[in-house]
Amino acid sequence: MDNIAGKKSSLTWAVHISVALLVLLWLLPTIGLFVSSFRTADQISSTGWWKALFPTEQTLTLRTKTAEAQTQENGVYVIEGNIYEDDPAGEGKGEADITSWGISSRDVSAFAPGDTAELRGGGTLTLEASGAYRMESVEEFSGSRGQRVFVTAEVPPEFTLENYETVLLSGNATDSMAKAFFNTLTVTIPATIIPILIAAFAAYALAWMDFPGRALLIAFVVALLVVPLQLALIPLLKLHLGIGIGKGYLGVWLAHTGFGMPLAVYLLRNYMVGLPRDIIENARVDGATEFQIFVRIILPLSFPALASFAIFQFLWTWNDLLVAIVFLIDATGDTTVMTRQIVELLGTRGGNWEILATAAFVSIAVPLLVFFAMQKYLVRGLLAGSVK
Amino acid sequence: MKSTFYAGVAAAALTAGMAQAQELVFTPGEGDFNWDSYNSFADANDYSGQQVTVFGPWLGPDQELVESVLAYFNAATGADVRYTGSDSFEQQIVVDAEAGSAPNVAVFPQPGLAADMASRGFLTPLGEDTGEWVAENYAAGQSWVDLGTYAGPDGNDDLYGFFYKVDVKSLVWYVPENFEDFGYEIPQSMEELKALTDQMVADGETPWCIGLGSGGATGWPATDWVEDLMLRTQEPAVYDAWVANEMPFDDPAVVAAIEEFGYFALNDDYVAGGSDAVASTDFRDSPKGLFSAPPQCMMHRQASFIPAFFPEGTEVGVDVDFFYFPAYEEKDLGSPVLGAGTLWAITNDSPVAHGLIDFLQTPIAHELWMAQQGFLTPHSGVNTELYANAALRGMGEILLGATTFRFDGSDLMPGGVGAGSFWTGMVDYASGAKSAEEVASEIQSSWDALK
Repeated sequence: MDNIAGKKSSLTWAVHISVALLVLLWLLPTIGLFVSSFRTADQISSTGWWKALFPTEQTLTLRTKTAEAQTQENGVYVIEGNIYEDDPAGEGKGEADITSWGISSRDVSAFAPGDTAELRGGGTLTLEASGAYRMESVEEFSGSRGQRVFVTAEVPPEFTLENYETVLLSGNATDSMAKAFFNTLTVTIPATIIPILIAAFAAYALAWMDFPGRALLIAFVVALLVVPLQLALIPLLKLHLGIGIGKGYLGVWLAHTGFGMPLAVYLLRNYMVGLPRDIIENARVDGATEFQIFVRIILPLSFPALASFAIFQFLWTWNDLLVAIVFLIDATGDTTVMTRQIVELLGTRGGNWEILATAAFVSIAVPLLVFFAMQKYLVRGLLAGSVK
Repeated sequence: MKSTFYAGVAAAALTAGMAQAQELVFTPGEGDFNWDSYNSFADANDYSGQQVTVFGPWLGPDQELVESVLAYFNAATGADVRYTGSDSFEQQIVVDAEAGSAPNVAVFPQPGLAADMASRGFLTPLGEDTGEWVAENYAAGQSWVDLGTYAGPDGNDDLYGFFYKVDVKSLVWYVPENFEDFGYEIPQSMEELKALTDQMVADGETPWCIGLGSGGATGWPATDWVEDLMLRTQEPAVYDAWVANEMPFDDPAVVAAIEEFGYFALNDDYVAGGSDAVASTDFRDSPKGLFSAPPQCMMHRQASFIPAFFPEGTEVGVDVDFFYFPAYEEKDLGSPVLGAGTLWAITNDSPVAHGLIDFLQTPIAHELWMAQQGFLTPHSGVNTELYANAALRGMGEILLGATTFRFDGSDLMPGGVGAGSFWTGMVDYASGAKSAEEVASEIQSSWDALK
């Protein structure tokens, strides 16, 4: 009975669950990166991002006010304050009630709130659950820094926009980011358009024009796909310097065009070869020239392939660092691009994960926009091709 | 639509290129700086309208610091100084030099690479004056000259590199308040350090945080350990023979030094997270164990740059401090210091590039950076009072008080060893996969293969 046509398979739920799981699996790293971009470097190094979403029990190292803040009451020196407010590290954690505390690294939770601890340098310290403390001593407090106190408390989740400020707004970051953004656009847009223009002509010729050695030429283009571009860096740069292009936009456009060409020709040729032969032959019979066939018939029909290659090439040039460093960025540093700007933010020895995560989301913005904008055209192009 | 967009791009690119001139951090004439040297340099040199490009390994805050010093060269001579940094300096400088688009001045973090480039004719000799100046004005001057002298393409030795900015590596970092809590004293000899390590274990604490992870360079912190321990178990001459491979890598002296490192790193009780964690912990994360509550470890051996990776707000000298990684009392080898430094070399000759190297020889060029942060200098003619804080001054004293100063050996070895098999070998050793002898003989055979 289950096999009756039109009835839903009983395994639909399994399909749905596995699709949901797959989506979650794909999204997980991105979510982690997104959460991390709102955390400080210290938080990232101490706990995983998944813990950032829930309150956690943490032991904080905080300091009281310095000896300068002491007052004299009835012959006793007193320092009073709130441990959360007196230390910048305790900022924003004021609501967390202290469950235990200590003053020695031997036992960081030696005392309960309200207890009084003997200080090593003489005197006593009393700490309440709210963070209010009172230090008393018959002798004057000394030292350039306050007493160190370990505080254990249930700390609520805490997020910060500081990383985005560092990447986008702090100091001269705005100027340099904006400059890098426009430089990247200046690289990316021509480096996407030029290869499509050239490759479309080549692909048409390879697909529909008969000439001797065509198959060999196609094989050669396909073979070029496996040549790593790193191989060409130094010879190509030498050539550019030799013929006077030097390091600059023209050089990087040419390099991206060259490196993107095999894939572009291969993709477009394969798509064009699949177009119905009848249309093209009809056009020939009606007296259309090759150029008219290409412009009037092939190009509109190949729009989905053109769009999908444009997306590939755009993403690749947008994310590129290697080609930009070799062919574009000269010693004056005026022509820096976004990827390069992000690497600079990471510092000499790297390891600033919070900046890395934030920068990833800043630089992802434009490709995402392009992808969603192009997707509309992609779908329309695909439909135009199928409903004939 | 499209044309207005391009116009916008062009306009933005043009205006963005204009914001350049940088402000001077310290006003000339104020403070205890050697402004005379600045003024006399400014009077003697004029490079108005000329551009000099500098390419180095510094990024982020370090880049701001070097730019702040270069701004004075601009103010003194009118030269247009442009600094660019890269995290893949070693690869990029080779590409640029090969292709002929090298910057005027390159700042090398490793003498090995500079020697290699000098032999291929990419560097310009700095001249005898510079060599004499370094020999006279730097503490242990001749050794700095030797480190910057390489054989050129014609086989003749010349001075190619000028050392500016030095790091001290023989430092052990600790939290003074944790030491007070347990009543520990700072060890004065290696014997005391080992006794202290055992004492910490007896007290139920973990003595060391060691992390070797560093992306593609994983393993380098262990090479520093081995080099430091070489200097503490062998004569400096043996160290030099080892670095030059006149003594094989699998010599018992080297194996003993590697096993000394193993004494600390391979003992589960001595290392935070156990010895398995050593190879997998990132070197930037490992010092954070000092500051956790309760502390994961009590001591961390690392170079003078590491405070950049301490938790935010940590003040060196108060929250954390350092002591000299001590030598064996019984061995009578004095107090050896391991260090590293960056050397400046001219990769694209021009008069203004030589002018910049001359500027770096003025005391003011050193004082301007040391008064900010992260800068040590062997220049004996500077006012050490200008060090930004007591911690830097203390490191400067360790540097000046060294009876033996040796440069980071792995930086002097050929790239395939010093930045290759030595790193991976130490990871194999630290993870317990191979014995010290196996590792040493593997490194030696990789060195033989390069010859």
